[in-house]
Amino acid sequence: MTRHRSAVVFFVAPFGTLFALFYLLPIGYAVAQSLYTVERTGTFGPAREVFGGLVQYQRVFADGPFWASVGRVLLFGVVQVPVMIGLALLLALLLDSGLVKGRRFFRLAFFVPYAIPGVLAAIMWGFLYSPTLSPFTALTRAIAPLDAGLVLWAMANVVTWVYVGYNMLIIYSALLAVPPEIYEAARIDGAGPVRLAWSVKIPLVRPAIVLTAVFSVIGTLQLLAEPQVFRSFSSAVSSTYTPNLTVYATSSIPNFHLAAAFSVVLALATCALSFTVLKVSTR
Amino acid sequence: MKIPRRPLAVAASVAVLVTACSAPDDTADAAACTPGDAQSVTLTYTSWIPGIEEVVDVWNKANPKIQIKVQTGPNGNNGTYQNFFNQLRAGNPPDLGHIEYDALPSFRVQDGLFDLGACANVADARGQFIDWTWDQVSFGEENSAYGIPQDSGPMALFYRKDLFEKNTIAVPATWDEYAAAAEKVRAAGGYITNFSQSDINQFAGLSWQAGAHWFANDGDAWTVRLTDPETTKVAAYWQGLLDRKLVSTVPPWTTEWDHAYNSGSAWTWVSAVWGANSISSGAPDTAGRWAVAPMPQWQAGGAVSGNWGGSSTAVFKGSAHPYEAAQFALWLNTSEEALTLLAQKANLYPATKAGASLPVYAQGVEFYGGQKIYEVFAQAATQVTPGFVWGPTMTSTYATTSDGFKTAVSGGGTLTGALAAAQRSTVDTLKSQSIPVKE
Amino acid sequence: MKGRPAAMTVMGVCTVYFLTPIWWLFVSATKTRADFTTTAPLWFADVALVDNVREVLTYRDGIFVRWMGNSVLYTAGAALIGTLLAAMCGYALAIYRFPGRETIFNVVLGGVLVPATALALPLFLIFSRAGAANTFWAVFLPSLVNPFGVYLARIYAAASVPGELVEAARIDGAGEVRTFFTISARLMLPALVTIFLFQFTAVWNNFLLPLIMLGDERLFPVTLGLYTWNTQVNQVPQLRGLVLVGALLSVVPLVVAFLLLQRFWRNGLGTGSVK
Repeated sequence: MTRHRSAVVFFVAPFGTLFALFYLLPIGYAVAQSLYTVERTGTFGPAREVFGGLVQYQRVFADGPFWASVGRVLLFGVVQVPVMIGLALLLALLLDSGLVKGRRFFRLAFFVPYAIPGVLAAIMWGFLYSPTLSPFTALTRAIAPLDAGLVLWAMANVVTWVYVGYNMLIIYSALLAVPPEIYEAARIDGAGPVRLAWSVKIPLVRPAIVLTAVFSVIGTLQLLAEPQVFRSFSSAVSSTYTPNLTVYATSSIPNFHLAAAFSVVLALATCALSFTVLKVSTR
Repeated sequence: MKIPRRPLAVAASVAVLVTACSAPDDTADAAACTPGDAQSVTLTYTSWIPGIEEVVDVWNKANPKIQIKVQTGPNGNNGTYQNFFNQLRAGNPPDLGHIEYDALPSFRVQDGLFDLGACANVADARGQFIDWTWDQVSFGEENSAYGIPQDSGPMALFYRKDLFEKNTIAVPATWDEYAAAAEKVRAAGGYITNFSQSDINQFAGLSWQAGAHWFANDGDAWTVRLTDPETTKVAAYWQGLLDRKLVSTVPPWTTEWDHAYNSGSAWTWVSAVWGANSISSGAPDTAGRWAVAPMPQWQAGGAVSGNWGGSSTAVFKGSAHPYEAAQFALWLNTSEEALTLLAQKANLYPATKAGASLPVYAQGVEFYGGQKIYEVFAQAATQVTPGFVWGPTMTSTYATTSDGFKTAVSGGGTLTGALAAAQRSTVDTLKSQSIPVKE
Repeated sequence: MKGRPAAMTVMGVCTVYFLTPIWWLFVSATKTRADFTTTAPLWFADVALVDNVREVLTYRDGIFVRWMGNSVLYTAGAALIGTLLAAMCGYALAIYRFPGRETIFNVVLGGVLVPATALALPLFLIFSRAGAANTFWAVFLPSLVNPFGVYLARIYAAASVPGELVEAARIDGAGEVRTFFTISARLMLPALVTIFLFQFTAVWNNFLLPLIMLGDERLFPVTLGLYTWNTQVNQVPQLRGLVLVGALLSVVPLVVAFLLLQRFWRNGLGTGSVK
C-alpha cells in the first residue's frame, strides 16, 4: 500500500509543511492568546500576561455591538448572496442560450469590475454615491444611499458589482463543459429555451452554483475593506459595523487577547455557516 | 465534507507557543541613555509625514555616524499605530516613531516608550518648547520625556472675509456671537460651518478651550470625565446649532466636504494652524477670500485657545541606541533647517517657542488675502491651556464617540448622549485591559 | 423569435451597470484636479491624462511602479508556485492510498473554511518571532498556501487521471515524479488553470495581511500603496487624484492578462463543478 512512500512524501510534504506553518500554527496561536488576559498595577504599570481561562469569551458573548454586527452581515448575506448568484446564473444562462450576439464582449465587460480590488472599488463607489459629485446627483440626493437606512445595501451593491462577473464565469464555464448531446434530447421533446434552462441546465451546473454560494458566504462574514473605506464618507458606518471591523478595532486598542477571542468565535461561526450552506444545498 | 475535530498538530503547536509567548523580559536597563561604543549606527524611523525623507537626508549628510533609515506607512490611526503595537509585542519596533500626542499614553501603557529624560541635552531642551507641548510628552512628570514634541495645532477661526463683509455680518469674537452669526449666514443661504462628526479630536480641541479635562491620572488610577460640565457645555452648544440646522454635517475630509468649502456653502472653520493648507488645497476657487481671526471665546474679552493635533518623535523601548536616537529627534524638532523643511514639505507648525519666528512664518499668505495669518496662530499657541491629558485607549474612545456623533447628526440621539455612552465604554475598555480606573 | 430582443436588453442594461463606473474612472483619470469637482463627471474636460499618469509614475521617485512590480511578484509568483504545490498534494491524495490520507484531506478542507483575516495577526506575531516580519517573504510565503486548490486538484485528478495510465507509465519504467510532470499534470491542466485563477485573485485582493505585515513602503503591493495614499489626502490633497489614476493603471495589466489568457480560462473555470 505504501509502495510509493517517497513519492507521497515528495508530493505532500511541501504543501503540508506550509499549511502547518501558516494555517495550523497561527490558529493554535490565536486560540492560546484568547485564553490569556493581562494584569497590571498602577496607571502605567507594565502588563503581565496571566492565564484567564474563558474570561475573554465571556466578554465576547456579552458584547452587544459585536452580535449586532453579526446579525447585520447575516442579513446582508441572506439578501446579497442570492441576488448576486441569481444574477450571475441568469447572465450565464443567457450567454449560453444562443440568443446573445457578441458573447466575447459581454463576458469581458461583466468581468472587468473583478479586476478592481475591494478597497479601490469602495473608493470609486464612494464618489458615485456622493450627493454632489456623483454623475447621478438627482438620484443620489433623492434616495441618499449613504444614509443609515441604505448604506448596507449601498455596500451590497459594491460587492455585487465586483463579483457578479466572476461568479458568472464560473457558472458559464460549467455550462460549456456540458456535452451538447444532453440538450438534443430535450430539444427533440420540444422544450423551449426557458424550460431547457430550468429543468436541464440548472441541475447540471448545481455544483458550480453551490461552490460560488459557499465562497460568497465566507466572503460576507469577512467584510472588512468595503466598510473600512465607507466609514470615511458615511455617517452610518460605525467602528464595529461588521465583525471583522470589531476585530480590527479591538486589536488597535490594542487588546490582542480579546481580538484573538473575537477571531476564534468568528472563524467557528464561518465554518459552521459555510458547512450548513454546503449541507443544505447539496442535499 | 468534514470539519477536522482535533488535529494533533494544533494541540502540539499551542503547547509550544504558550510557553514561547509569555511577555519578553525587560532586559535593557531602562534608565541608561549614553552614547554607544559603535563607530556608526543606523537607526530606523517610521513616519507618515509627507516629504520626511528629504528632511532626514539633510541629517544623514551631516551625520555620517548616525544614519537614519526612514520607513513610511499609512496615517497613524489607519494602520501605522497598529503596526507599532504589533511590533512592540513582537519585540522588534523601529528605533524612532512618529506619534501624535493623543496616542502617546496608549504607547506608554503598553510599556513601549523609552523615557528620554535621562538623555544628555533632552532635559536642557525643555525650555525651548512651548510649555503645554512639553506637558504632552512628559505627562507632567519632572525629568521625564516620552518623546520630543514635533508640531502643534493651535486653533483659530478661518472665515470667508468676503461673504461676511458682503452680508455685513461682524466676525464673531465669542461663541454667542458665533451662534448669532450662524442665523444670519443661514438666512443668506450658507452654513456657518460644517460640524465634523468624526473629527473627535477637533471636538476635543473645542472642549480643551472651554477648560475640559477628559482624563486625569493620579498615579494610582485613571479618571474618565468625558461628561464634565465644560465638555457638556460645548456639546450642548453644537447640539443647539445642529437642532436649528445652522450647520451642515458632511463627513469631513471627503471631496464632498472640500466641495462645501469650495462652493461657498460653508463660511467658517474653527481649525488648527495646519488647516490653512487644507482650505487652500481643498477649496482652490476661493483664493484670496479667506481670513483668520482668533478662536471665538466663551467669555467676552477672553484669550484662550484650544489645540487640535500635534505630534512627537518618540524612541521605542528596545532601541539599542536611545542616545543617538534622541540626538536626531532633537535636531529634527528644534533646528531651524529641519523645522523650515517640515513647514514647507508637510505644513507642520513647530512646537518650539522660536519656531513661530521662522522666516517661513513671517510672510503674508496670498490665499488669505496677504494676511500674516501665522501671527494669529503664534498668539494662539501661547494661549492653549496647559495640563490637558489624553487617555490610554484613545483609539477606542474616539471610535465610540465618533459612532455616537455620527448617529446624532443623522438624527438618532444627541451629542451629550454620545459622550455618556463613550464615557461608559471607555471605562469598560480600561477595565478589560486591567488599567485601574475610578468610577 | 421574441427571446432575442429580451435577452439583448438584459445584456445591454447589465453592460451599462458594469461599465459606467469604469468609464467614470477613466474619464476622471483624465481630468485636472480643478476640473474633477467642477465638470460633468461622465464626460471629458481638458484631457490631462498624460500629465496625470506621469505624476503617478514619478511621485516619490516612482514608488508606484515599484508597487506594481511587487504586486506582480506576490500575485503571479504565489499563484504559480501555490498552484503547483496544491496540485502535487491533491494528486497524491487522489492517486495513492496511504495511512492518514483522509485525515490530511479533512484537515485541509477545514482550512478552506477558516477566514483569512483570523490568521493575519497571529501570522504577524509568528513572523516577528522569526525576525521575518516586514520582508517580502512575510507576505509571499503565507500566500502560497491554497487549501481550496488541494480540494479541487484531488477531485479533478480522481476524475481525469486514469489509474491504468499511471500503471502503464510505471511499467514503462517512468518514476512517479516524472509521470506526474509529463503525463498527469497535462491531464489536469484545466484544473490547474482554475486553481491558479482562484489563488491569483485571492492574493490580488488580500489587503489585511500586507497591511499588518509590512512597514516598509518599498515592499507594498499596489492595493496597500493606494490605500496609504488615500489615508494621506488630508495632508496632501493632490493624492486624491493620484489614487484614481493609480487605480486605473493597476487595472489595465489585469484586464490585458485576462484577455490574453481567455483561451485557457474558458476551459478551466468549469472544473469547479466536477464532482
